[in-house]
Amino acid sequence: MLSRLVLRAAPAALRALPPPVAVGVLHTTRPLHTTQQSLAPVPPLPEKGGEVRHGLIPEEFFQFLYPKTGVTGPYMLGTGLLLYLLSKEIYVVNHETAAAACILTVIVYAIKKFGPQVAAFADKLNEEKMASALAMKNDTIQTLQTAIEEEKKEQWRAEGHSYLFDAKRNNIAMLLEANYRERLLTVYSEVKKRLDYQVALQNLKRQKEQDHMIQWVEKNVVQSITPQQQKESIAKCILDLKALSKSAHATV
Amino acid sequence: MNLSFFDQFSSPSLLGIPLILISMVFPALLLPSLDNRWITNRLSTLQLWFINLVTKQLMMPLDKKGHKWALILTSLMIFLLLINLLGLLPYTFTPTTQLSMNLALAFPLWLATLLTGLRNQPSASLAHLLPEGTPTPLIPALILIETTSLLIRPLALGVRLTANLTAGHLLIQLISTATTALFSTMPAVSLLTFLVLFLLTILEVAVAMIQAYVFVLLLSLYLQENI
Repeated sequence: MLSRLVLRAAPAALRALPPPVAVGVLHTTRPLHTTQQSLAPVPPLPEKGGEVRHGLIPEEFFQFLYPKTGVTGPYMLGTGLLLYLLSKEIYVVNHETAAAACILTVIVYAIKKFGPQVAAFADKLNEEKMASALAMKNDTIQTLQTAIEEEKKEQWRAEGHSYLFDAKRNNIAMLLEANYRERLLTVYSEVKKRLDYQVALQNLKRQKEQDHMIQWVEKNVVQSITPQQQKESIAKCILDLKALSKSAHATV
Repeated sequence: MNLSFFDQFSSPSLLGIPLILISMVFPALLLPSLDNRWITNRLSTLQLWFINLVTKQLMMPLDKKGHKWALILTSLMIFLLLINLLGLLPYTFTPTTQLSMNLALAFPLWLATLLTGLRNQPSASLAHLLPEGTPTPLIPALILIETTSLLIRPLALGVRLTANLTAGHLLIQLISTATTALFSTMPAVSLLTFLVLFLLTILEVAVAMIQAYVFVLLLSLYLQENI
């Protein structure tokens, strides 16, 4: 029964703990089936770890001792503890001490020298990850905006279609009109051709009749000229000619 | 406590309970676990980057069939690296100084590569016993030599790792003993010895990382021959 109480109170208690501890407790107790299976939504972890002095001792320790012992308290505690361990030979100085001094020097030197570089490298990896995702997001936004612009342009174009259709309609009407006029002209010229033909035919007929009549008249006149008349006309012509030659002689 | 030179290499036990399992499993606890976050903290990012680097390097010469080995080789690499590096701290026990553990790692993995080769491409993996272009009279001798070299590979792997680390640790112990002993009588000589110790420590750090890499690299090479 008490366990049931604990189980019911557990989520609230878990959420009350600081986030790293809550997540850690959840992960640990999940296989033991002592808490609910999820704590979602998981509260976000803080961005930076806790403040640490000298790389080892959390700042909270110094703050804890500050009211009672002031600023030098923890250092006095540390020194005293160390000297106590050394003097009472609770910690014996042996060969491991020299080895410890060496390896600790190497570690501290390496961290001090390469620490910032490694941290910058890790930050750069994360930044690249975020930057590529952001770039993808921005590219998509850009593509969508371009698509919006294109769509607006298409809409504007669609509005202008009425003008286009009017112009096309006028164009076609003019073409039809021109075609009609052309055909009219063709008809007119064809009709005129036929009428000209008829006129020419009539003229020809009349001409032919006239010629024929003139020929017939001439023929009859020539036939009706008697030999007597012929002699008289020739004599008259000779007399006229003589008279003319005389007048011509005179002028010359 | 008064240490002898053997204490570093004896399997640790507390009140009769062997602690060897804890000392082998402990380094894994130092690695950040998978967090299901997209942007992780620096340690997780670096761990991910390092694992990617190692896996790519190991798997590049292998074809697709060999990629099944990626998990075991990479985790073996991280395991050995962490154990070796943690062993350099004072008062720690390095499991890889025990020949038993190194042979237990080398033998099955080498045998697995050998059996894979013999099973999938028997003639090709047997052909490795005779290098190309050997003059004909030398062939029988060379086959025997190559077979010996093949069969000695697991021993070589295990003993190489053990010997390197044990020798390193022993040297560190001896020279630091010399430093401590000379400190009271001849401090100047002690300082010189301390300098030697310093350089040796740097060497040991390098050796720790290199030995882990070499172990895994050789296994991947044996795999390449046989896959």
